[in-house]
Amino acid sequence: MALLGLSTLTHKQDVDAMIRDTLDKVLVLRFGRATDPLCMQLDETLGKSSRELSKFASIALVDVDAQEIQVYLHYFDITLIPATVFFFNSQHMKMDSGTPDHTKWIGAFHSKQDFIDVVETIYKGAMRGKLIVNCPLPADRVPKFELLYKDI
Amino acid sequence: MATLADSFLADLDDLSDNEAPGEEEAGEDDELGKEDVEMPDVEVNYDDLNTVAKLQNTPRYHDLMKKVDEAIESGVPATMAKLSEDDPEYQLIVECNTLSVDIDNEIGVIHNYIRDKYRLKFPELESLVQHPIDYARVVKRIGNEMDLTLVDLEGVLPSATIMVVSVTASTTNGKPLAEEVLQKTLDACDRALDLDESKKKVLNFVESRMAFIAPNLSAILGSAVAAKLMGTAGGLSALSKMPACNVQILGVKKKNSAGFSSATLNPHTGFIFHSEIVQGSPPSLRTRAARLVSGKSTLAARVDATMGDRLGQTGRAFREEIQKKIEKWQEPPPPKQPKPLPVPDSDPKKKRGGRRLRKMKERYAMTDMRKLANRMSFNIPEESSLGDGLGEGYGMLGQAGSGKLRISAGPSKLSTKVKKFKEKKYGSSGATSGLTSSLAFTPVQGIELSNPSAQAALLGSGTQSTYFSETGSFSKIKKIV
Repeated sequence: MALLGLSTLTHKQDVDAMIRDTLDKVLVLRFGRATDPLCMQLDETLGKSSRELSKFASIALVDVDAQEIQVYLHYFDITLIPATVFFFNSQHMKMDSGTPDHTKWIGAFHSKQDFIDVVETIYKGAMRGKLIVNCPLPADRVPKFELLYKDI
Repeated sequence: MATLADSFLADLDDLSDNEAPGEEEAGEDDELGKEDVEMPDVEVNYDDLNTVAKLQNTPRYHDLMKKVDEAIESGVPATMAKLSEDDPEYQLIVECNTLSVDIDNEIGVIHNYIRDKYRLKFPELESLVQHPIDYARVVKRIGNEMDLTLVDLEGVLPSATIMVVSVTASTTNGKPLAEEVLQKTLDACDRALDLDESKKKVLNFVESRMAFIAPNLSAILGSAVAAKLMGTAGGLSALSKMPACNVQILGVKKKNSAGFSSATLNPHTGFIFHSEIVQGSPPSLRTRAARLVSGKSTLAARVDATMGDRLGQTGRAFREEIQKKIEKWQEPPPPKQPKPLPVPDSDPKKKRGGRRLRKMKERYAMTDMRKLANRMSFNIPEESSLGDGLGEGYGMLGQAGSGKLRISAGPSKLSTKVKKFKEKKYGSSGATSGLTSSLAFTPVQGIELSNPSAQAALLGSGTQSTYFSETGSFSKIKKIV
């Protein structure tokens, strides 16, 4: 992960600080494990595009196995790995990509360009004051998954 | 080159004067003993070489050559950096520099002399072989021969030039020279070659002493090039007074003979361009390097002229600087970092306007027909396509009573107007004589300009028919071309 240039966060304070201190930039938090292959794929996409998006987005990786992070997993309802959550000025941004869950993005991106498109859309929507945006990707580029309902 | 100019002017003044050469020589030697450099403005007897080219007869010349020979034999002086202005060696070197310039002038004069004499024999040769020494050599080889196949010019000229010379000689309209004229010409050639030899000797001597005369300059360029520069400039002080751009050009050969293209010749390739330090750099950087070296060498020459640094350290420092700069030029450019994407929507799109855009928009604009269809008049039920209020309503279309739903399409504001070619009407105010003008001189006003459109107004408005009019004139007055 150091090779990618993205920092991995394991403490709650770090995550808080990150969310609070990123101003006027989209914050992309990837919740996952470094050892998971799908996670690794996503991490590479994030790492490759981090420099290009550096003007309006910042990216960080959150280790799902850390003790302090479980609070976040509970809050965001993260069950499938990897999960990417978007923030703008400490505001949680939702995206409707045709999947049941709008609050996060599950899985990897098909290509670097897809990820860049998503981040740009989120940025544009957020600058206009929207809290939820429509995903610019066609349906076949969006990874499909099934929501696990627990205790409902 | 004042001396050369003077001799030419003298030639122009008195071309026909025939003075006894004997008297001239005696008088001239005395004069030249006093004056150092200039040639006196005596009347020139063009027939005799000695009246034109006097340098070799002067005692000054002989003295200097003797001294040079001695100095060459004595070898390098033991005292290295002690060459001050008062040192006789230094004086000798300074004199050698002026002498080499004088020799150059002299060679030029002799070249003119040879050329003028040889013109009767082979006029085209002067344009084919410009260099004076080469010309002299060629003239010596050819002599009075009319057939150039019997003459071997190998080693004197490059083969291309030999070819051209042979071809031109076969079609030349020159005639063989008289014996005495030929003899004089050959003498002059020998003189020129002798002068060339002595000049070479002088330059060699100067070169060997160069490290003591101009240590800084020779530290940068090397003794040979430094000596050549000094020789061409006419001394170290003359060299130091030149701007660097001129120093760069010293020694450039203008060999633009007719028929040879000048596109391939390099511009500004003087001594400095052919020096080791510049030739050692890659070809693409040579012009830049030459400019840099000429700048630094001019500074070094100035230091040397004022005897600022006798040890040559400034020159060595300059040389290192030059080498470092040349290396820096050869470095590859820094690798390009991928640029981050710009923030989306940060620059608002530049909307263009103008006639073209408006014309484009016209195609999608609301048409008059649609506007009328959208409106309704009060208390009049509108008709519809399916009747009875079903279908699209027609609004005000077709309400004029004509029953048609069409409306006339007026010309759009943006359509280009077709220009009618207006014929100019030259109205004649009655008199048909061609000499009359439209200006009518009335006693009251003086000049009255007739208004050509007044003539048109006379015809009346277009609605009234003038066909049967008794008062009207021709309905159309047009100038018949």
